[in-house]
Amino acid sequence: MNVETLAGLLVLVPGVVFLGLAVTWLLGWNGQERILARVTMITYSLLTLGVAALTVIFWQRGLMVLTVSFGNWFEVGHYGFPLVLLFDRLSLPLAGVTIFLVGIVGSFSVRYLHRDPGYFRFFLLLHLFGFGALLLFTAASLDLLVAGWELVGITSVLLIGFFQHRKEPVRNALRVFGTYRVADVFMLTGVFLTHHWFGTGLWQELFPGTWPDNGHALHGAGAGVVCLLLILAACGKSSQGPFSGWLPRAMEGPTPSSAVFYGAISVHAGAYLLLRIQPLIAESWLATGFLIFVGVTTAFLATLIHRTCADAKTSLAYASMTQLGIIFTEVGMGWTTLALVHTVGHAVARTAQFLRAPSMLHDYHRLHSAAGGKLAETGSHYDSFVPKPLQHWMYTLGVERGCYDALLERFVLTPVRYLSSLIGRLEPADWAEKWRAKKAEREAGEIRVNKSGKDEVHV
Amino acid sequence: MTDTHAINGHGLAEDPKVHLVHLVDHAAHLLPTQGPIGVFVHHNTLHAFQHKMFDEAVAEASKLYGRQPYLTEAAFRAELKRGRILPADVEAILEREEEGEILPNRLSRRQLRRLLLVPGLREFDARTLPWLLDEGGWLERFRDDLGSEARHALMHDRPGALWKACLAKVPPGSATVPVIDRPRDAVLLATGVDVDEVVNPVLIRLCGAFLDQGIAYWSMPFREEGLLAASRRLLLAKMTFYPMGLEGLHKVLKDHESRKLSAVEVVMEMLECLDVPRERWGKVIEAKLLTLPGWAGLIRMLENQPHLAPHERLPCSLMEFLALRLTLDAAAVINAVKGPELLKEMKNHVEDPAKVRLGEVAELFEVAQLVGLPSHELREMGPEMFERFIGEVKACNDLERRRIFQKAYERRHERQILIPLRKHRAMPPLRVKGDRVAAQVFFCIDEREESIRRHLEEVDPLVETFGAAGFFGVAVDYCGLDDPHGVALCPVVVTPGHEVTEQPVAEHAHLHDVRQSRRRIWAKMAHGNFISTRTMMRGWVSTVTLGFFSIFPLAFRVLSPLTYAKLMKALNKQFLPEPRTELTFMRDDAEGLAATEGLLRGFSIQEKVDRVAGVLGGAGLSKGMARLVVFLGHGSTSLNNPYESAYCCGACGGYSGGPNARLFATMANHPQVRAGLKERGVLIPEDTWFVGGYHDTCSDEVELFDLDRMPEDHAADLARLKSSLDKARARSAHERTRRFATAGWIADAEGGLRHVQERSEHLGEPRPEYGHCTNAVAIVGRRETTRGLFLDRRSFLVSYDAGQDLENQALARLLGAVIPVCGGISLEYYFSTVDNTGYGSGTKLPHNITGLMGVMNGYQGDILTGLPLQTVEIHEPVRILFVVETTPERLMSVVRANPELTEFVENRWIRISCLDPDDGEIRVYRGQGVFEVLEGEEEPLPVATSSVEWYQGHREHLPLARIDGNHPVQVEVRVA
Repeated sequence: MNVETLAGLLVLVPGVVFLGLAVTWLLGWNGQERILARVTMITYSLLTLGVAALTVIFWQRGLMVLTVSFGNWFEVGHYGFPLVLLFDRLSLPLAGVTIFLVGIVGSFSVRYLHRDPGYFRFFLLLHLFGFGALLLFTAASLDLLVAGWELVGITSVLLIGFFQHRKEPVRNALRVFGTYRVADVFMLTGVFLTHHWFGTGLWQELFPGTWPDNGHALHGAGAGVVCLLLILAACGKSSQGPFSGWLPRAMEGPTPSSAVFYGAISVHAGAYLLLRIQPLIAESWLATGFLIFVGVTTAFLATLIHRTCADAKTSLAYASMTQLGIIFTEVGMGWTTLALVHTVGHAVARTAQFLRAPSMLHDYHRLHSAAGGKLAETGSHYDSFVPKPLQHWMYTLGVERGCYDALLERFVLTPVRYLSSLIGRLEPADWAEKWRAKKAEREAGEIRVNKSGKDEVHV
Repeated sequence: MTDTHAINGHGLAEDPKVHLVHLVDHAAHLLPTQGPIGVFVHHNTLHAFQHKMFDEAVAEASKLYGRQPYLTEAAFRAELKRGRILPADVEAILEREEEGEILPNRLSRRQLRRLLLVPGLREFDARTLPWLLDEGGWLERFRDDLGSEARHALMHDRPGALWKACLAKVPPGSATVPVIDRPRDAVLLATGVDVDEVVNPVLIRLCGAFLDQGIAYWSMPFREEGLLAASRRLLLAKMTFYPMGLEGLHKVLKDHESRKLSAVEVVMEMLECLDVPRERWGKVIEAKLLTLPGWAGLIRMLENQPHLAPHERLPCSLMEFLALRLTLDAAAVINAVKGPELLKEMKNHVEDPAKVRLGEVAELFEVAQLVGLPSHELREMGPEMFERFIGEVKACNDLERRRIFQKAYERRHERQILIPLRKHRAMPPLRVKGDRVAAQVFFCIDEREESIRRHLEEVDPLVETFGAAGFFGVAVDYCGLDDPHGVALCPVVVTPGHEVTEQPVAEHAHLHDVRQSRRRIWAKMAHGNFISTRTMMRGWVSTVTLGFFSIFPLAFRVLSPLTYAKLMKALNKQFLPEPRTELTFMRDDAEGLAATEGLLRGFSIQEKVDRVAGVLGGAGLSKGMARLVVFLGHGSTSLNNPYESAYCCGACGGYSGGPNARLFATMANHPQVRAGLKERGVLIPEDTWFVGGYHDTCSDEVELFDLDRMPEDHAADLARLKSSLDKARARSAHERTRRFATAGWIADAEGGLRHVQERSEHLGEPRPEYGHCTNAVAIVGRRETTRGLFLDRRSFLVSYDAGQDLENQALARLLGAVIPVCGGISLEYYFSTVDNTGYGSGTKLPHNITGLMGVMNGYQGDILTGLPLQTVEIHEPVRILFVVETTPERLMSVVRANPELTEFVENRWIRISCLDPDDGEIRVYRGQGVFEVLEGEEEPLPVATSSVEWYQGHREHLPLARIDGNHPVQVEVRVA
């Protein structure tokens, strides 16, 4: 097997497994746990071996870049949608971490979700997510990245709403979905403008050279605009700045999905996008300033909130958000290698913590007794440095989760709702009236005989 | 009545504040009584209703909380189909009830009820009904499962005509529509705004921060002033924004603050602000507290028993919680209805009368088909007769049908247990007579110990086992070597009067110091790591540098939990020296006797004698002791399980009972104690040695203590017992794996043991063990009666010998502890099973630990009480069936002397029966002092040569069987 095939398989296999499972399910297979578990474990064991082999090959041959082309999906005039994968020193580590962590979380979930009615759904989504994330990290073009980006987004939303019989998970999933869609507007505009102004979406044409030492081929005001749009898109995925409110809501899903999405892979996708376009960011002081501002403020706010969170999962969510803010700042400062190391380290460490969240009582109890019944006080330096009233205010801000929801409701949702109700008035109202009248009749249970002589409810 | 009395009485009733306190106290009884989850104590979920009859109580609670009283009708029908309930059971229950005529010569009450139960109404509700009529074929043809008579009667009728006739019989406006109590429902109906959705998130965040025991990095400022004061200060902070639904809250709070209103005053003002008339205060307060019953209940628990807080005691007050809730509610309601005046005009019906009526029509339509009442007859039926007919139909409503089904369900269970038990009792006993027994082993009465006891006796027929409540009569406040402080190891109803500490023996004191200092260092590092990965700057450094390396423990732990655990154990052994220890439990020194306050240090000789005699005598072991008598306490270790404590020993207050067993053995070995026992008629032979030990019901690990103190000549006895115990625990573990689908089918006992050990160490295992799941029976009697009987780990086994207890004193002591404990466990499982998301805590998978106090769903929800789905999923919700080996007269004399037992027995919260110690006759209690002799033979008693032969290849509940190693015949045909 040559290197290209190996690399291509790494991305394709989870997708094929997903398709295979989905099709057999649609054909009537009832999704026995044992088979599903075995398929998952074998798939990810092989993938882990594969990615390890690829890493060794890269290292031995001193490869910097490897592209795998599947040709164009379609072509229209000058435009072709290239199906090309790119493995370099940025995407390979992230692909490796993805494969490894999805495998670990899959193994964890085999036990964790045993007997859950959503077992099959969970694994189906996990495979689709694996495929999406790998596609996102290894896409050689902005266009293909969007495909992975959306797959990650939709699986994320479906897993937040995993417990579909309760109201809260579904509602929060919708909220996250909404946030993603808004961020996607920036993403799609960015992609469109890139093509419009620069005529290509391929990373290697936009940023010639090898990561992390590549330059960029984009100039002019257009470059700055595209850069800002993509930064905003990244903020959406990584829960930063204006889109920072959704992460705690994502904690409604089962613990392993919280781990792999919000501790590990999904939230770091934004950081990956920024690392890709970093040369462009460095060019524009506006983009640099904006990114650093967003990163620093989010990190500060999130750490503030984290310190007041009294439940295991929300606390971890804000801790993640804090580190993501720092990673954003690192990219803004141009410390790309550090940001990559940070991303990988953070993803792994946070996954481990999420998976241990249900064991927290046990762990804490052990810790507490080993410490002799008294753990060191936390938050003491803040006690000594910050004046009391300010401390109090900071605490309030933390408990109120930065007032994010209140502000959003006041300044975004209400105006939008108002606007849409204005637009709604333009609709003719009589069909709704008719529908209501029909419904009332049907609910009264009146019957009449229809033309064919059969009894039916008055409809 | 004197004048002062009158004034006082009058004044009390008038003062609205005092009145409010009463109302809150009253409403508080309805809240769950589950404390912080670290110590989980099983109790009757409906404890507040225990003074009522069971059926009455579940119905009332179901209405109050909106939860299920029994399994659903559909579930019962499935059991009927499966053969778990037989038609004969339903018949027997109906026959116990009164007969009457409904339609002359046509339909009697029993006939009607029989039809309503089987095949019963088809499922429908207000939302599905229009569809069923439209598309579901209800109006196209009659039901196809009707009896021949009914089908014949309806031969010339059409469903449409019948529907019309039914519609005419139930005139519009005749339906009774329930009225609502909660202002929130009224607001929701009138405006579409759910006030709870505005208020709950804020309230939950505040309560979470207030109650936190150490998860948050910063604790809530001013929380020592109480929830209301601290929250007020927080909410009054400048430069923060409330949700829009709480606009105006700031002003109200400021006003309260400036007038320094107390909680009671706030409640009063807010009730007035919400325009609640005084006579409805009670109802509204109930409704408000039951909106978030978990949080309210926890606050109430901590208000009454502040020491339950695991780490930090807090000034909790339910009144403050209510005041905060009402303040937020009032703000939200005013915002929703845009001004208080609108509040008065709101509708107060939850349900649409038209929909309710339609439901009644459909019910009549179904019954008419079942009974075979064609449309013309229905139309012509006189109003008086129709009233009676429909009255009977309504009397046998969903609740009533489920009540009957429940009884039938329990009747079959009763017969499946009692008939084989009687047969087994009538056969020759399996115990080996003659030789002195090799060892006697005491286990806890816990039903999970049934299998290891049975296997132990199978492995070594010369071993005898006993069951006694797992604290073995020694109620102590115990502080182990590694524990930061003492905990009460006894049933929760007992307050220990004695304290016992474990300390290193003098020559090992230095090892102890090394051990503790290393543990402190480890704690410091682990805690530092915990914090540093979560904060900002330290998190930066640590995730960049060390983050990646957590990949190794993570992968290792998830992929091979057992190996990881073994490695950790080896490392611990390497670095943490284990000093030999002893228990400080003597109190015959001058200092101990002189102490006048606090807990008594240890026990005096007399106290020891009392305790040892109590346990040995109660179990009927006053003589004939083996050379080795072992006491095994039990507990359970698991990860991924906030409910860990629920799996530990209930008789030790949710902790492990190892120390109690160790203490008991040490006491019984004491020469002076033995001398004292002799005077009390308990004869311990010179060569008998007691050993304490511990059994982990999750990993099936067994550990014996203080073996170095044992006389050397017992080494052979010990070796024999140890090897039997090892075999027995492996076999028992193997038997447990039959319930776990993830285990597959394991071939050998050793494999079973490995599997359960792995479960206990698995990070992702939500079912480390099944806990008390499937418990259904408690047998109080001699082991001879049950020895060799396969009870499927479903029966508590209490050793008791009526022949040695002529005064019934031991029985009174045993039942006084056993009925509340086993009854509580059984009822907690019952309620968590019949309504898992209401009385129980639903699936564990999204559970999120909050404040180290409890779990909630997702990121802001109510504290969940009761048991999770993964704990009860294979449970059969029957009330526990007690079988006491004594006569009805003796049993009832004990029960009637104890009000708590009377309540359990007479109000039917448990089922109870007597097994005659002489002739083996079984009499079942049917209430009102009536015992009914058990008759009938329909349930067989199969015989198998070993337990494994009987259970191999089965995951479902198994019927009783006789396990007789010498039995020549292979296993008989099994009953489905």
